[in-house]
Amino acid sequence: MEKKYWKGLEELQANKEFTKAQKNEFQEDLPLEDVFNEGIGEKNTGRRDFLKMMGFSVAAATIAASCEIPVRKAIPYVIKPEEIVPGVANWYASSYSDGGEYCSIMVKSREGRPIKVEGNPNSPLTKGGTSARVQASVLSLYDTGRAKGPSINGNEAKWDAIDTAITSALVAGPVAVLTSTVLSPSTQGVINDFVTKFAGTHVTYDAHSASGMLAANEADFGTRAIPNYRFDKAEVIVSFGADFLGTWIAPVQYTKQYVAGRKLNNADMKMSKHFQIESMLSLAGANADNRIVIHPSEEGLAVSGLYNLLKGGSCSLSCKTQLKQVADALIAAKGKSLVVSGSNDKNIQQVVNQINAMLENYGTTVDMSNVSYQRQGDDASVATLLNDIKAGKYKTVIIAGCNPVYDYPKGDWTAALKGVACTISFNDRIDETTAACKYHTPDNHFLESWSDAAPMKGEYSLIQPVIAPLFKTRQMQDSLLKWSGASVDFLAYLQNYWTANVITNEGDKQAAWDNAVKNGVFSTGAAEATAMSPKGDVNAALSAIAATYTGKSDSVAVVLYEKVGLGNGKYANNPWLQEMPDPITKATWDNYACISYNYAMKLNLLENNASMFSDHKPLWDAKEVRMIEVSVNGAKVKLPAIVQPGMADNTIAIAVGYGRTAAGKVGNGVGQNAYPLMTWANNAWLPVAFNASVNTTNDKYTVAQTQTHHSYEGRRIVKETTLADHKQNPHAVNADRKEIVEATTTLYGDNRRFGDHEYKGHKWHMAIDLNSCIGCGNCTVACQSENNVSVVGKEHVVRAHEMHWIRIDRYYSIGNKEGGFNTMEKNINADPNFENVQVTFQPMLCQHCANAPCENVCPVNATNHSSEGLNQMAYNRCIGTRYCANNCPYKVRRFNWLDWNGADSFEGNLHDDADMANSLTRMVLNPDVTVRARGVIEKCSFCVQRIQEGKLEAKKNDMRLMDGMVKTACQSSCPADAIVFGDINDAQSAVRSIYDEEDTKRLYFVIEELNIQPSVGYLAKVRNTDKIASWKESNGKKHEGHEAHAEKA
Amino acid sequence: MSFKESALREPLIEGNKTYKDVTEDICGPTDGAPGKEWWILFVISVALLMYGAFCVTWFVYFGIGTWGSNKTVGWAWDITNFVWWIGIGHAGTLISAILLLFRQKWRTGVNRAAEAMTIFAVMCAGMFPVLHMGRVWMGFFILPYPNTRGPLWPNFVSPLLWDVFAISTYFSVSLMFWYTGLIPDIATLRDRAKSAFRKKFYGVLSFGWTGSAKHWQRHEALSLVLAGLSTPLVLSVHTIVSFDFATSVIPGWHTTIFPPYFVAGAIFSGFAMVLTLMIMTRRILHLEEYITMSHIDSMNRVITLTGSIVGVAYLTELFTAWYSGSLYEQYAFANRALGPYWWSYWGMMFCNVVSPQLFWSGKIRRSIFWTFFLSVVVNIGMWFERFVIIVTSLHRDYLPSSWTMYSPTWVEVGFYLGTFGLFFTLYLLFAKFFPVIAVAEIKSVLKTAGENPARTAELKAIQEKANQVDGVAVA
Repeated sequence: MEKKYWKGLEELQANKEFTKAQKNEFQEDLPLEDVFNEGIGEKNTGRRDFLKMMGFSVAAATIAASCEIPVRKAIPYVIKPEEIVPGVANWYASSYSDGGEYCSIMVKSREGRPIKVEGNPNSPLTKGGTSARVQASVLSLYDTGRAKGPSINGNEAKWDAIDTAITSALVAGPVAVLTSTVLSPSTQGVINDFVTKFAGTHVTYDAHSASGMLAANEADFGTRAIPNYRFDKAEVIVSFGADFLGTWIAPVQYTKQYVAGRKLNNADMKMSKHFQIESMLSLAGANADNRIVIHPSEEGLAVSGLYNLLKGGSCSLSCKTQLKQVADALIAAKGKSLVVSGSNDKNIQQVVNQINAMLENYGTTVDMSNVSYQRQGDDASVATLLNDIKAGKYKTVIIAGCNPVYDYPKGDWTAALKGVACTISFNDRIDETTAACKYHTPDNHFLESWSDAAPMKGEYSLIQPVIAPLFKTRQMQDSLLKWSGASVDFLAYLQNYWTANVITNEGDKQAAWDNAVKNGVFSTGAAEATAMSPKGDVNAALSAIAATYTGKSDSVAVVLYEKVGLGNGKYANNPWLQEMPDPITKATWDNYACISYNYAMKLNLLENNASMFSDHKPLWDAKEVRMIEVSVNGAKVKLPAIVQPGMADNTIAIAVGYGRTAAGKVGNGVGQNAYPLMTWANNAWLPVAFNASVNTTNDKYTVAQTQTHHSYEGRRIVKETTLADHKQNPHAVNADRKEIVEATTTLYGDNRRFGDHEYKGHKWHMAIDLNSCIGCGNCTVACQSENNVSVVGKEHVVRAHEMHWIRIDRYYSIGNKEGGFNTMEKNINADPNFENVQVTFQPMLCQHCANAPCENVCPVNATNHSSEGLNQMAYNRCIGTRYCANNCPYKVRRFNWLDWNGADSFEGNLHDDADMANSLTRMVLNPDVTVRARGVIEKCSFCVQRIQEGKLEAKKNDMRLMDGMVKTACQSSCPADAIVFGDINDAQSAVRSIYDEEDTKRLYFVIEELNIQPSVGYLAKVRNTDKIASWKESNGKKHEGHEAHAEKA
Repeated sequence: MSFKESALREPLIEGNKTYKDVTEDICGPTDGAPGKEWWILFVISVALLMYGAFCVTWFVYFGIGTWGSNKTVGWAWDITNFVWWIGIGHAGTLISAILLLFRQKWRTGVNRAAEAMTIFAVMCAGMFPVLHMGRVWMGFFILPYPNTRGPLWPNFVSPLLWDVFAISTYFSVSLMFWYTGLIPDIATLRDRAKSAFRKKFYGVLSFGWTGSAKHWQRHEALSLVLAGLSTPLVLSVHTIVSFDFATSVIPGWHTTIFPPYFVAGAIFSGFAMVLTLMIMTRRILHLEEYITMSHIDSMNRVITLTGSIVGVAYLTELFTAWYSGSLYEQYAFANRALGPYWWSYWGMMFCNVVSPQLFWSGKIRRSIFWTFFLSVVVNIGMWFERFVIIVTSLHRDYLPSSWTMYSPTWVEVGFYLGTFGLFFTLYLLFAKFFPVIAVAEIKSVLKTAGENPARTAELKAIQEKANQVDGVAVA
């Protein structure tokens, strides 16, 4: 028998209680009751109980703590729309058309949300290029400032009620429709029908109009339109103040053409010669080979001077020798030259027409047969309309797409509109003009609308909705059709219009329409360009010019301009545009008075005779600059004065488009409104004023600039040469590279192109042609849109906390008295001629160094190298020591200084000056790109999400990733085709061919001597001029020997 | 009779002290309630500490964007202050370890306080690299521990990681060294203690020290081992800190002379800080007889030496920049001297190179006022040095387009002041509750009969008298 051990006397005695307890698995209860009843302090807790309780509390605390993560609901489609695959973008062709601005676009839509706008390569006009405003237009869709629905006198109303009220009001009498330039022929049809029905009139109003040119062309050729310019065909381009690369008429189209005429390759060493004659430094001026600086009061005289010189006469201006050079160059390039003027003075434009005719440019570079419709505003009829409204001629006034209360220079539109019984505004928000209207019937955003556009004769373009209206808005055309009692909606109207007028020659109308929707564009073919001669009276124009333009260069004049980013101010509530650095001043979030150095000295604005290039003086970086008060005929603005190289003396340049009061949270109160400074002359508003007066004040103001040192200090980070030198010896510009390569080749051999590691698959590289880059800054906004780059607001731009992944470095070479140029501070200070300036633009982004200094210093491996040569960031791993940012020689790494976007785990510390973190605006975020939390570093990723997408596409199709399948956002946005991206290991790739071809000629890497093996190559800039900054400036004799050596070799 | 009588060495302790006197003088201040001066200083220190804590909370909550650092100047006051405090934390271990190995007996008067200062300074220094992180709550990523992320290790080639090891090792060894030295003295305090609390408090802290021969033997052995360990650490810590800069590509940082130059600078600033503190301590605690003029003199000599080394390093940097032929390097140094931050460069030059040269004069070297004044000047100068290296190198590096200026905000200043609060709070608590001079060690250098000059003079007089009696002339 088995031996039995008792556990105690109880068992031996088979105690009743014991037997009962034995059946119970847990023989003792947790003494919880005792604990809770008696309190922990009093109970003599046993060791085991203590452990149990501790175990329980730790487990409970852990569970409780880990449940803190908020649950965010993701709701799947109940019925999945056929065309939407979650995670895969859909692309729709459309057009950006606004107030005469035009760009054919592709809209990227993710899960039904438009998130990105790209250029449409099918367009024969914009050819896939975009502008910053086009890129930023998608953000305006999600603008919280937009009206959420219709309203009457500011009170929310139902569409039915409004329709009834308006329909009954319309019968009262004549209607005036005031719109900005309407590019859409079908919309024009709707408006025409409407005004016909209600015995009204349609007036086109552009805040910054081209009335003068339209009037001149009407007088000279009988056509009230803008000719189609061909900058690509022109060998000599002369622009009188027309910023055709930045803001004038159709900058994207002109940039494409301009760059085509200036692209250099080794086979064809030809580039156009560009003269810019202007009073302020415009973007086109910054790209010009030769600039002639004139006082605004000499503008007309310079045009007539050139006319006289071309006729063999003389010119009395101080710049006559330079103008003579211009004339000589033009004559030499007869028929292959182009003269344009940005003036809104009919007389000047007539003389320009005469010059072009004299140079036989009509039919070659100036085409009046295929005219552009991109500016239609007529200042004279707007002025008449204002008077008529005041006189009570109209019972109903309809405003669409324009904002005269804000941007009409003189005349009280508010009072005029208040005097009309029925005023209707179609504007997208309750802006300054809408506030003065009775009815607000907000139009859809263009991404929510059907429409079309005809930017040029014979060129059509469609606009299709990519999202249902976000708010209770209705398309203007539908409203007009409805009010006029039409039975069709606008889509039907549009299709009918196209069938009848556009696709008339197509057999299968439906197929033609479908194709047009798919491609976004449709051409009916261009007419033959013909030579023409202007019929207008040139002598009358010349004498009118002589009367208007006094040439008094000692009087103070004001020049008004649009900024490349913000334009006329319509998009003032767009944070991307507000924070986009101006291409020239690199200033954000403000307008200011640009003045010349001499004028600043004259006004005594620079304390202690400071030179603007001197470090110790505050004016240099626009921090705490003095404010000046500029008045013109009673209109006054007070603005900070910024010293700007390239300005004419006694001239003040001020950007319009600022000082909005009802743009929305972001745009209100940014800068000052400069529109009232415009001058009425010759039936047009001229963006100049000759009789300004200036008061200096002691008030200080800080302008937020993203760049505060403006010359490249003789460093070989920028390489430039002249066309003549380059033709003579294409290797000379890169002569120092040989030495650098020798000096930095390591024991492991020269592997600067491919890096020290072997890259067996792809190796991503970029080539940026400095000769093509015009510095427009469009890529900055494109990148911001693609990569969810945060907006930081003015205060933090001042504190150099901006987040842009790609920036355009803008360097000035300042003229010296000998006619040459200096880049080093000390030389500039010694001998400055600030009027004479050469500008270099250098896009700067992460260079994805193969031997990256940022990577080895990161203590946690948060930044590392991919097997394809990408320098990548693991945001989750980053702890934010900023060591990588310090050790980046290009300073392209960006730290999330504050919680810009609500992505960090702290409540209530959001810093969102630009109102970007609300749930509406966040819809613009690209779901493929992580939104970075506070405290981590971020930087350019070479659009790794696009690379990944391209690789997957190739894999799916069982093909090799072909060159061009992956385009970075900056590359695809670039209107100048300056950026080429691709796989260097692919022998067929464009980037490889540039590298191979240019290796010893123009290709160089910035600060290559550090042996960091960057993956972004730059092609040296070539200027078609005689004098440039000498690259021997910094280190005279040492390099001369090497150059000679290189030349021999 | 003629013989050469060598000059008498100055006694290490003045005043004819007995062992009992030593114990009383040094342990006395820990007995009673602290004096008014102590309370004033303590309240100020705690107030600064609280303000610092407020500022830290502020920027941890809102972000590093509340500082003045920016896209170009990623490190500024944070790392300047880090290197500055680390430098200060160099003197203690140097005095205890290296001078112990060199048998510099004068060190006994100052080593305890200097070591305490080291530990507190390293604690202050450690605040900066931890709290300058954008995501300090993820700071543990920097530690090499097995994890479920791969495992994913830190980047062993990053100098910041080396810093973590160097500083934590230095801190723990210094702490052990300091505490080992404290044990016999804590036991003394325990034995003197009258209240039960003090008995218990010091009893626990003294780890049951009885002063037996075995205890002393082990104590001595451990001290020597720790001294041996600390000695390379003194040199390595600042060497590794200098690698943060030297291994980078930034002109003005990428310099091979940084390790010796940083170590010399650290000793320089550390000694200056020791002097600042000791001059205050000896005054407040009336320890003039233990921390004597000759201590101050010796330390001033070290300051003159290290200051001159630093000066040579500055000039070498300038020469190297010129000789390199590198445009960027040359500009970086020209910009230091003539750029917008010229005042910090010339402040550094004056405070670190010129001012210590005054110590060539024995009068100044032995003047309390001058020593105190110059020790403060030296520490200001060393702060400037770090500011010059970090901020003026960064703010204008390769691409002029990204050049910026930097100025601190109240948050950063508050953080720095807060570390002063922490430092002095800890130091004052230390001075109140522990012997600021190593009692046991000082007793070992207390001259007994034959060496005690007072006693020697006495004996001499007796012998003279005897000689006169014997009729022998004394030469």
